[in-house]
Amino acid sequence: MATHPRELTAPPAVLRTTALRRSFGERHVLDGVNLEIGRGEFVALIGRSGSGKSTLLRAVAGLDDTVDGSGEVLVPERVSLVFQDSRLLPWLRLLDNVVLGQSGAAARERGRAMLAEVGLAGRERAWPHELSGGEQQRAALARSLVGEPQLLLADEPFGALDALTRIRMHALLRALLRTHGPAVLLVTHDVDEAVLLADRVLVIEDGAFSLDLRIDLPAERTAEHPDVSRYRARLLAALGIGAPVTSPASLSGRTSS
Amino acid sequence: MTGTLIPALARGRAAAPAVAGPDRVAEASAPAALEAPRISPQSRRRRLGRGRLFPGARLAGPLLVLLVWQVAASAGLLDPRLLTGPDVVAVSGWGLLQDGTLATHVGASLGRAVLGLALGTVAGVVLAVVAGLTRVGESLVDGTLQVKRAIPNLALIPLLILWLGIGEEFKVTIVALGVLIPIYINTYSALTGIDTKHIELAESLGLTRWQYVRSVLLPGALPGFFVGFRLAVVGSWMALIVVETINATSGIGYMMSQAQLYAQSDIILVGLVVYGIFGFTSDALVRLLERRVLSWRRTLAS
Ligand SMILES: Nc1ncnc2c1ncn2[C@@H]1O[C@H](COP(=O)(O)OP(=O)(O)OP(=O)(O)O)[C@@H](O)[C@H]1O
Ligand SMILES: [Mg+2]
Repeated sequence: MATHPRELTAPPAVLRTTALRRSFGERHVLDGVNLEIGRGEFVALIGRSGSGKSTLLRAVAGLDDTVDGSGEVLVPERVSLVFQDSRLLPWLRLLDNVVLGQSGAAARERGRAMLAEVGLAGRERAWPHELSGGEQQRAALARSLVGEPQLLLADEPFGALDALTRIRMHALLRALLRTHGPAVLLVTHDVDEAVLLADRVLVIEDGAFSLDLRIDLPAERTAEHPDVSRYRARLLAALGIGAPVTSPASLSGRTSS
Repeated sequence: MTGTLIPALARGRAAAPAVAGPDRVAEASAPAALEAPRISPQSRRRRLGRGRLFPGARLAGPLLVLLVWQVAASAGLLDPRLLTGPDVVAVSGWGLLQDGTLATHVGASLGRAVLGLALGTVAGVVLAVVAGLTRVGESLVDGTLQVKRAIPNLALIPLLILWLGIGEEFKVTIVALGVLIPIYINTYSALTGIDTKHIELAESLGLTRWQYVRSVLLPGALPGFFVGFRLAVVGSWMALIVVETINATSGIGYMMSQAQLYAQSDIILVGLVVYGIFGFTSDALVRLLERRVLSWRRTLAS
């Protein structure tokens, strides 16, 4: 993997894991994962529940020093993380939440600008509980981007939002990525989300990737794009779900039996 | 809405025969189903929270007690040697206030309470932070204080008198010890019970240890501290009452035990009222402080 020919032409990697293993007791959740993400690349990670997506993300984020394992993880200097819940600290006002951990005189100014970018201008002094779920998640996005990370890790960041809000968040995320340009590793349950957002989709199964699919679609894509359903079908097949059977022949065949 | 429903129900029941089977019920409700459903303006939902508190609401109960007491005294139901009426208590209280006796005693008590509360709070918080932040501190402090907790403060009085005499140091120490335990227990458990999600967030943001303590750990433990602090304030008055009835030469407790010798029930009552006012006021102040400091919280208590 290290001497992959693509490396010669591909942008320099911002993340590289080599032979990454993690286990909980006898369960080998990650069993030799090799992953490379290029600068500015958007990679989505899908897989069945319990397949080890969060475990991989936590390993990359360095949040798993109590877990058994081996392997090498190379990450850039600035990595940030978005969780499924916003994890805003309830005792800090919004702006203080966004700039938490940032230092320097300009931090608050950047925080203010970042809040404006996610559509929360004027809410700097609000308490987190005064925000809706979608607004809280937007604030969490602002917090994750205020330090201009080179790599953004996200574990089902939109999983708790309703469908409509999720669509808006997709558009917002795209716009934010255009301006800030970090590489992204996004864990999601939603195959459509993966196809609509990512440059590359990885399917994880039995501790390793079973599919590494490049999505050759324009950056501004919609669910109506004719190729989207093709990619969706491939991913669903890789997840062992298979495309729904809709041909009339098979329907009549069922009713006759 | 209920106004229109209840008569209909009552009528239905009155009209039903003694043995109403399911078919009967269906028959009775059938015509109603044909009519257009009655609609009426939505009244606002019954709120299941506790609603708003009107200003000064907490005074209502005590005032009622006072009223009943006065009525009973005026009606001659009470033996004045055992329990005088509130009017007599008020007059005696006024007298004590005029000649400065009350101010002296109240000042002495208040001084002890505030000093003991301050020392106990500082000690409790420092010990909780030491035990809550470091494993070494935890193993040294926590076990020790759990043992201390099992020994009632009053049981320490003989030893403390032996060590400190019966002066002010002894009294303040007893108060501080009574304050220390609730502060410690609640602050320590709040510090160690902090949500792991918050810890994880702090780690992912790369906070330094000091930033973590200041922005995450301490503010997160503040509600727990306040639970302890409110118990501690009540506890400080309790400890005070005990130490002031033993070997004191000033203070509300001393004033009351003197009055007991001369069977002056009105003065005893003045003392009780003062203790009550102290307890009530201090609790109100703590609530106020808590509301201001924890303004980010939205709970039923506010
Ligand atoms: N702290 C832990 N202790 C023991 N087992 C764990 C722990 N964390 C995860 N596991 C196990 O590791 C496996 C992978 O978990 P992980 O959270 O990575 O799954 P996931 O792919 O993120 O699933 P989901 O889509 O449901 O979030 C699961 O079988 C889980 O039970
Ligand atoms: Mg997960």
